[in-house]
Order: sequence, then structure tokens, then C-alpha cells
Amino acid sequence: MLVITRKPEQSIVIGGEVEVIVLGITKDGVRLGIKAPRSVQVHRREVFEAIAAENKAATETKVSIQDAAALFRAAQVRKPHVR
Amino acid sequence: MTSEPLTTPDSTPESDDGTPLTFPKGLVGFPNLRAFRLLEPADGYPLKFLQSVETPEVSFICVDPASIKPDYEVPLGEEDSEALHLESPEEALVLTLVVIPDDARQMTTNLAGPLVINVKTRIGFQIVLNSDKFPLRFPIIVQN
Repeated sequence: MLVITRKPEQSIVIGGEVEVIVLGITKDGVRLGIKAPRSVQVHRREVFEAIAAENKAATETKVSIQDAAALFRAAQVRKPHVR
Repeated sequence: MTSEPLTTPDSTPESDDGTPLTFPKGLVGFPNLRAFRLLEPADGYPLKFLQSVETPEVSFICVDPASIKPDYEVPLGEEDSEALHLESPEEALVLTLVVIPDDARQMTTNLAGPLVINVKTRIGFQIVLNSDKFPLRFPIIVQN
């Protein structure tokens, strides 16, 4: 891993297209600005990882899909009956 | 009721090859899976299956989020709209992935990572939304 020391308002350029700028440093964290082409997606790592984990879980179902579908259907028809 | 875990519906692949879809960037955490088939079982069946063509044992369970949360709307950024080449909102198919835990009553759908598909081009992307506003685990079945 490349480790670089930067001061506020200094930046690094990655691949000629992406620039990461140190906007400020406080005791709570570092504030970064990111300039990148629209085609480059920028996400906080934890958000990305949480969605990746949910995606993986959506492929790993141990219970019967039929049972789940039946539960789902039952939930959809639980409209109040008016007499 | 079957004890055998099933990740695809009863219908045989021969009878229903599904709709071919391309996700040029894959799904989050699955960047190499790009070609999929969307299997939509018979009318009224609530779940759909997004099966990888490259790795057929990988199949994502998904659902039309409108059937769970009618007011759900995906705020599409300019970059996403451009990548999808959407000309009108009607061209967008939105699906959310479903996680079914061992206790199926606890099943949830991920509203923070919807799949948005252009039904004309059959190209889709998984959109990453702010998980503070869009729950990663939105309960499908309301517990009484």
C-alpha cells in the first residue's frame, strides 16, 4: 500500500482522472473531496460492503422458496375484511 | 412443502428461459457476473429470480418493491440515468433483492441497493442509495 502524507488543501491524483483532496482535518475525522468522472462510482466502504453482504445473502436461502412465497402471499392479502 | 432448499422456481428451464438481462458492472460484490436471466414465475407468484448465466448456481431472489412499499421511489442520479439511457420512467423496471433467513417470516428486502433495468435495452445497474434513508433490511411481512 502506498502511504502519502498530505496537508489540508493538498491532493492526490489517481489514474489521471480521479482526484482526492484533503479539505480539512478535525479531531473526529478527515474531510475529503473527490473529483472523478461520472462513470466512476464513489461509495463509503461500509455502505458498499453492507449491500454486498445483502446481495450475497439474497443468493443463500436455506428455507423452501415455496414456503417463503406462501408467507409472502399471505402477507399481501391481509387486508381488513369489512362485513 | 419441500425440505429441499430451492433457489429457482418449479418451472423447468426448458419451459421458461426468462428474460436475458445485462448488468455491465455486475452487482455489488459480484462484479464479474454480468449476464443474467430474469425468471418470473406464473401470475401472482410474488418472487422473481435473477439467475447468473455465467454461474447458474448463483440466483438472486428479488421482488417488485411496489408490492411491499407502494411509495418506494429510487432517486436516480444524473449519471445513473445516463448510463441507463432511460427516455421515460415507464422504461425502468425496479427490483429489490430479498433475503430469506431460516425463519422465513423475518424476510427482508434491500431498499438501499435496488436494481434498475431499462426494459427496452435490457441493461441494468444496481444503484447504491444512502442507507440512512433507505433500509438495507426492510421487513416484507409486518409482524403483529
